[in-house]
Amino acid sequence: MTKHSDEGSLFSSKKFTDWPTVKEALISKEIGGVFILAPLAMQLVADGVPIKVVYLGHRDGTGIVVGKDSPINDFGDLRGKVIAIPSRYANQNILMHKMMDEWGMPYDSIDLRELPPPEHPIALQTGSIDGYIVGEPFAAKAEVDGFGKVLYHTKDIWPEFISCVMVVRQDLIDERRELVQEMIDGIAKSGKWLDEDMQHRMDAAEVTAKHYYFQSPELLKHVLSKPEDRVKYTNLAPLQEDFDEIMELAFKIGVLSRRVAFKEYADDSFVRPLDQLDWGMDRLPREGGGQ
Amino acid sequence: MKGKVGIGMLLWAILITVSHIQLNLGWSSLRKEVAIMTGEQREELIIGFLPVT
Repeated sequence: MTKHSDEGSLFSSKKFTDWPTVKEALISKEIGGVFILAPLAMQLVADGVPIKVVYLGHRDGTGIVVGKDSPINDFGDLRGKVIAIPSRYANQNILMHKMMDEWGMPYDSIDLRELPPPEHPIALQTGSIDGYIVGEPFAAKAEVDGFGKVLYHTKDIWPEFISCVMVVRQDLIDERRELVQEMIDGIAKSGKWLDEDMQHRMDAAEVTAKHYYFQSPELLKHVLSKPEDRVKYTNLAPLQEDFDEIMELAFKIGVLSRRVAFKEYADDSFVRPLDQLDWGMDRLPREGGGQ
Repeated sequence: MKGKVGIGMLLWAILITVSHIQLNLGWSSLRKEVAIMTGEQREELIIGFLPVT
């Protein structure tokens, strides 16, 4: 697998397991950027960390999951239930509050509990929670393993839902703009490639399952195809209208310590029209040179 | 006399430069920058991720 871009730059990833360490790594310049929860990026800027949201990771790709045989059939049935969320800074938390507003439910009508996403499916299976809201592939996990059902996909309740965003250090934007542009173009090209052909998605599931996520390829194939618009990788420009809505809701429920203006935390100048970007590649190369 | 002043200024500039690299930049960082400038090494950007949302 090629590890550098067409231009020759190296882009490597570093896995983190908690948010405070990510924050420290950004401040100490150990990493140039990070895929991070959208409200957390806003709070980091509110805390004075010099970063900017430059692109999105994906659109949608989150589900509210309940037990397969549970009597929960709509959002109103979640009243009085224990529902796991990934983090108070997750947009999934904000979505739950948005839905409670829409259903006329007070915020204490659902017991929202922070739980690391990999633990969501097992917690549902063992009965310690009644449901969970999480990004993929953990929503699909309960479906594929046969003990859960997706009550709602975000595409049906908050279309074009934003979960993770790409943030980059301000000094990189100022001093190594070409490198940042190269990275954003690469993400955009990858997203366009993923969304233009189902076979591309199946290829990506095989490769990422093995090299990045260490999940079953079948689980990732389920995520990327059932239904096809469960998660999307185009329309990834950070749009002010979307972010203003998230920011206002986050401030209203106390996730953000203050209102943060879009220009304070976002820089959309790296976004290029997709018709100017193309990978020029059909199938992903495999080890050994095969297709 | 002019020569001594010149040498003194040169030594002072070297001292300040070395101190700046030692205290603010770091030798490994400098070596990396030079390697990238001379084409010996590729530019690298490390992106963090949490495999969860």
